[in-house]
Amino acid sequence: MNERLEGLRARTREGHFRQYRQPGAPDLVAECDHEQLSWPRRMARLTRRMCEAEIVVIEPDERIVFTRTLRAVPPVHSPADHAALTVGQTLHEGGLINNVCADWELALRQGLLGRRRVAGATRSRMASAGNIEAVEFVDAAIETIDAVLALAARYATEARRLGRDDVASVLERVPGEPPRTFREALQALRLLHAVVWLSGHHHVGLGRLDQYLWPFLAADLAAGTLEIAAAEELLAEFFIALNRDADLYPGIQQGDNGQTITLGGLTRDGGAAVNPLTWMALRVARDVGLIDPKVNLRITGETDLALLELASDLTRKGLGFPQYANDDVVIPALAAHGYALEDARDYTVAACWEFTIPGRGMDVPNIGAVSFPAAADAAVRNGLADGASFDAILARTGAEIGRQVHERTAPYERLLWAPAPYYSVLMTGALEAGVDHGAGARYRNLGIHGAAAASAADALAAVRRHVFELADVDRAELLTALEADFVDHEALRWRLAEESPRVGLNDPAADDLLRCLYDRLADACEGEHPQSGAIVRPGTGSAMYYLWLARGRDDGPLAEPLVGATADGRLRGDPFGANLAPTPGTHLRGPISVLQSYAGIDYRRVCNGGPITLELSAAVFADAESIRKVALLVRTFARLGCQQLQLNALNAEQLLDARAHPEEHRDLIVRVWGWSGYFCELAPEYQDHVISRHLYADV
Amino acid sequence: MTDGIIFDVREFTIHDGPGIRTTVFLKGCPLACTWCHNPEGLDHAPQVMRSPGGDRSVGRRYGAVELAELLARQADILASNEGGVTFSGGEPLAQADFVAEVIDLLPGVHIVLDTSGFGTRGHFVSLARRADLVYFDLKVMDPVAHRRWTGQDNAPILRNLGLLAELRRPFVARVPLVPGVTDTDANLAAIAAAVASQPTLVRVDLLPYNRAAGGKYAACGRTFLPAFDEDRAPNADIRPFQRAGLEVRVA
Repeated sequence: MNERLEGLRARTREGHFRQYRQPGAPDLVAECDHEQLSWPRRMARLTRRMCEAEIVVIEPDERIVFTRTLRAVPPVHSPADHAALTVGQTLHEGGLINNVCADWELALRQGLLGRRRVAGATRSRMASAGNIEAVEFVDAAIETIDAVLALAARYATEARRLGRDDVASVLERVPGEPPRTFREALQALRLLHAVVWLSGHHHVGLGRLDQYLWPFLAADLAAGTLEIAAAEELLAEFFIALNRDADLYPGIQQGDNGQTITLGGLTRDGGAAVNPLTWMALRVARDVGLIDPKVNLRITGETDLALLELASDLTRKGLGFPQYANDDVVIPALAAHGYALEDARDYTVAACWEFTIPGRGMDVPNIGAVSFPAAADAAVRNGLADGASFDAILARTGAEIGRQVHERTAPYERLLWAPAPYYSVLMTGALEAGVDHGAGARYRNLGIHGAAAASAADALAAVRRHVFELADVDRAELLTALEADFVDHEALRWRLAEESPRVGLNDPAADDLLRCLYDRLADACEGEHPQSGAIVRPGTGSAMYYLWLARGRDDGPLAEPLVGATADGRLRGDPFGANLAPTPGTHLRGPISVLQSYAGIDYRRVCNGGPITLELSAAVFADAESIRKVALLVRTFARLGCQQLQLNALNAEQLLDARAHPEEHRDLIVRVWGWSGYFCELAPEYQDHVISRHLYADV
Repeated sequence: MTDGIIFDVREFTIHDGPGIRTTVFLKGCPLACTWCHNPEGLDHAPQVMRSPGGDRSVGRRYGAVELAELLARQADILASNEGGVTFSGGEPLAQADFVAEVIDLLPGVHIVLDTSGFGTRGHFVSLARRADLVYFDLKVMDPVAHRRWTGQDNAPILRNLGLLAELRRPFVARVPLVPGVTDTDANLAAIAAAVASQPTLVRVDLLPYNRAAGGKYAACGRTFLPAFDEDRAPNADIRPFQRAGLEVRVA
């Protein structure tokens, strides 16, 4: 990080670039109504007007330019028209394509002009065939291409006027023509990606950056036109730029924006994909130290320990990444769920942890959550009341899981995506086929979170131990205590909480139930057959449901069932563990047993993603020897056959101080559930949860 | 079969030896170092730790087989990550028969014995023989001062230190740097002299006093009476050890 980059970074954090923001946004409804535009044409018009309304910003020390100046993305229909158009349909998170990853390799390789030629050829073919719908889609796509090219041209002109010939010559070439250099590729990517946001999409993933950018860097290095240090500087500038507009990107909490990259792993034909850019991206992310892009690293049990050490050194920065995905497990799981092997090898993390295929995936990985605790609790209470056996309680839990899956899935029979002509330009095969990505993508599956499994397994384990095996807890008393939220039943609560098997201790008496819950979830998902031909992917994430399933949500009704006190001795309202983590308050021995507990899940059957979440004390990262041990721990995760791992460095004292004195910790970053955010910008309940997480090796 | 009392089993204890390790903390210690940061390890009997967050019982009786089975479930992982099991405390020598039985039930597992060195010759030989590496604490070399600060004579410790050579056991000398107590120039020089002649010495670790040491005393129903200046930075002077040609680290 040289002085120039430090300056850019500091100005980004200070909100310096917000001075360029415009007060309003283009008004599209009147114009679109007047011209009686179709929905696809309206979406293309949106991209065009947004591009046209952008004010060119080039600061003297920038080399990779684009600063967003428009705050909001306007609607393209009046509320009444929008309602009429979408009545009876399910719009996922507003209905604009999100949580996917473009085929950035394709977009860079062909350039927008190349994509435009593909569109033109398709248009001729479709026009001859009389396919009016396809012609309209392609015309809309072409309108967006021209809009981006015009925006790039305005940037180039302004750069020329400012005497920034270096910037001008880059933008006179890209993103229209394919980049020739690493710098041109980064500039093209910056603009192409930013316009996806401008078009109203959210959780816009950046995919396998080390794969699609490496050819450009490799060529520069081979030609001797770029040194490693200069390449790192360019990449650092690109990473910093991703943080510039992040406050405008919608999410549940600030930072939840899905600007994610995925590094390493395998190539589509099964070769090793780690290259010098993999290492460089890890180094640069560490040195830049900002929350975007979030980094995912694909590994196996045999990954070079030195790479894991570098990754652990990035974890030391406390940014909450990299997150690890185990290729040995993820690829077979995706293949088992209908993904072609070469596509499965090409997987990336879409936003938080959801596995998707760049350019080919239009999966909705987050249709909602199954509340395992609610399913187990309903079965326990019914079972206690009518004298059921433990096996019967377990069977009812499975049935309840099935009911919840069906309830969450049913509305997605009527899933409707708004047309996405611009995003489709960047996808594999949409222009070629003349079909919008939302309607024509190869993979259009659904994904559901199996949330708070540890608490449900703990509750079932406590019932099995105390009601059935030891018979030292009376059924009626347990029922009464659950109803009473354990008021006046403190001794019983203590026994359930302290003297029962628990997930996270490598205890088969709890871990077999954990596995069972995910098996039942997989059964239930396999039993769903949406008419679209989609499958339902079971997952192990929780998103924000670790709070919502315990407390409801503040901003409206919760579709998922709420649960009160549970048989693991948990009080009503107490939060669950985030993603795959033992129940808060469990007396754990440490990360080895936690990994062993979670290694028991049959990950071939769950492929939606969702990480084991481990918080290591920041003190662990004191020296190279300790960092090596962290790397060994990561390798152990992979060798045990676990699927995904989120490893965070946490300093509990610092967090407490940050809550008391936020002004002194403005830059403190923490991992929240599938993303990193600034601690002081989180709502208090999320701050509390981070502070209360299990901390390992607090030395 | 022997029983023992354990106050904790912790995984991924990065300072307790090579590789990925799990540490067993034996409950009960014959010394009473005024700077001890594990006061729950002092008493042999189980006890209740009280805190605003609730009560927690500390100290659980394990059978040797039960503890060995718990550790054996992860033995492969520890072995494949250059690590193993560390027995610490409290004082492992105070439950030597139990610890020996557990170790014997864990063939092939790399063992670190983390000890104050205070114990009978028989107990020390029994455990040091079974260990692959010994972490041997050296605190105060002057016998009078040692008794004052730890409540015990240091003669058995120095005798046991001397046994390491004939047992051919590699060891790391661990020196807690307590301000004004162990970190004096004279004491550090004496420690350097005592270990310099030891053929199996691997290195010396200097461990600066941790201000949080007193944190757990109230919860144990004890009063923390350090009787030294906690606020003074310890004198982490590595020169006496370097002069003796020893590898030395400051943790």
